[in-house]
Amino acid sequence: MKDNFLAKWLNDELESSELQELQKTPEFESYNKIISTLDKLEAPAFDEKAAFASFKSNYLATPQIKEEKETKVIKMNVWKPILRIAAVVVLAVGFYTYFNTLDTSVATDLAQMSEITLPDNSEVIVNAGSEISFNKNSWNENREVNLKGEAFFKVAKGQKFDVVTTDGIVSVLGTQFNVNNREGLFQVTCYEGLVSVAHKGQVTKLPAGTAFTVLNGEVVSKESPTTQVPSWTINESSFKSMPLGIVIAELERQHNVVIETQNLDLNKNFTGNFSNNDVNLALKSISIPLNLIFDIQDKKVILYAENNK
Amino acid sequence: MSEVVIPNVCEEAVFGNIYMTNSKAIYRYIYYKCGDEDKANDVAQESFLKLWENCKKVASDKAKAFLYRVANNLFLNDVKSKKIALKYAKQSENVDNESPEYVLEEKEYKDKLERALARLTEAERTAFLMNRIDGKKYKEIAEMLDISVKAVEKRIHKALQKLRETIDGI
Repeated sequence: MKDNFLAKWLNDELESSELQELQKTPEFESYNKIISTLDKLEAPAFDEKAAFASFKSNYLATPQIKEEKETKVIKMNVWKPILRIAAVVVLAVGFYTYFNTLDTSVATDLAQMSEITLPDNSEVIVNAGSEISFNKNSWNENREVNLKGEAFFKVAKGQKFDVVTTDGIVSVLGTQFNVNNREGLFQVTCYEGLVSVAHKGQVTKLPAGTAFTVLNGEVVSKESPTTQVPSWTINESSFKSMPLGIVIAELERQHNVVIETQNLDLNKNFTGNFSNNDVNLALKSISIPLNLIFDIQDKKVILYAENNK
Repeated sequence: MSEVVIPNVCEEAVFGNIYMTNSKAIYRYIYYKCGDEDKANDVAQESFLKLWENCKKVASDKAKAFLYRVANNLFLNDVKSKKIALKYAKQSENVDNESPEYVLEEKEYKDKLERALARLTEAERTAFLMNRIDGKKYKEIAEMLDISVKAVEKRIHKALQKLRETIDGI
């Protein structure tokens, strides 16, 4: 017969021929009686609920046990208040970290300028209609400033960070520089120290007094800046051979006006300054050298060539 | 997403659940070894205390194996064993309307069986009764005792063989 055939028999694993063979043995009746008797028997009763109750009162509810046995028995009902406190702490920490990891963002309105200080004490002056954001919390790992528009950076001595714009990344080390990223224009001007500009995979080093300009996707060479700081930081917008379209867009931003042009070649270059304080003066600064006429109608300005009207 | 959350044994509800589902089996496991109800009770309670103390280290899906291992270790410290006293399940007491002679005969047979059980080795008796009284499958017993199914079968086969030999007076 099979190994352990009695165990197989008890488990109904015998084939019928094997079962018949077993049933024919003289011992079978005895086996059967043992099993059928055991079927009617049971072990001493055990009441789980009562046992658990006594378990709790013996081991879990009395703090003395903990001291005597030096085991880490913790009272079960201690958990509830602890969990409550824990939940509050988790929420508080969660909120704190959530708000702390959010980027700090500064956006300027039209005709507005804003000055901020970065976590490393570098100063940033944000020109009108621009947005700058950075993360205070991860500043040490991730020294990045995102810029849309124009801003002037005075980097604290020995500090390094990147200015990220849609058109390129400007990396700096202890310098003063201006980044202008507007529609059709990406211009970085270095006033002090050295900056490197990564634009479309090309890295350009800009020493003090030089500028890197991309006009409508093309890198153009521009004259060096003559001032110590960008003119806009002292409330004047200054242009050197800049397409009129870009100049007008800046005037709109600085004075919060809408300028409508008629019969104007917006690609014509303009060199000059306009005031960021006085809209009339600013319009004159543009119209007179270019022989244009302007009409102010509330927030709308119409600009057109003199000989066309 | 692939991470399966295993309930923490340190939580009262989880621990209570483990207690309710396993305490009787642990109690019986020890009882079948030694036939001592008090001892079985003590070992069962102590095993759960050990689980509670180690709740941080024991994953809830390993708690059962942990309990049997601890119960077994705790039991080894004590050897003196008594005769297993089994009693009739309530059902059969009430349902059957038997003659006094038959009842006496049956009582004598039960005593004989209990004495025969006492003569089995502890391992044979435990596996055999876990199967016959508790209705545990061979596979479950193998897991609890941390032995192979084949070893369980061998113990059960031997147990029944020896019981018959003792009872039939061979």
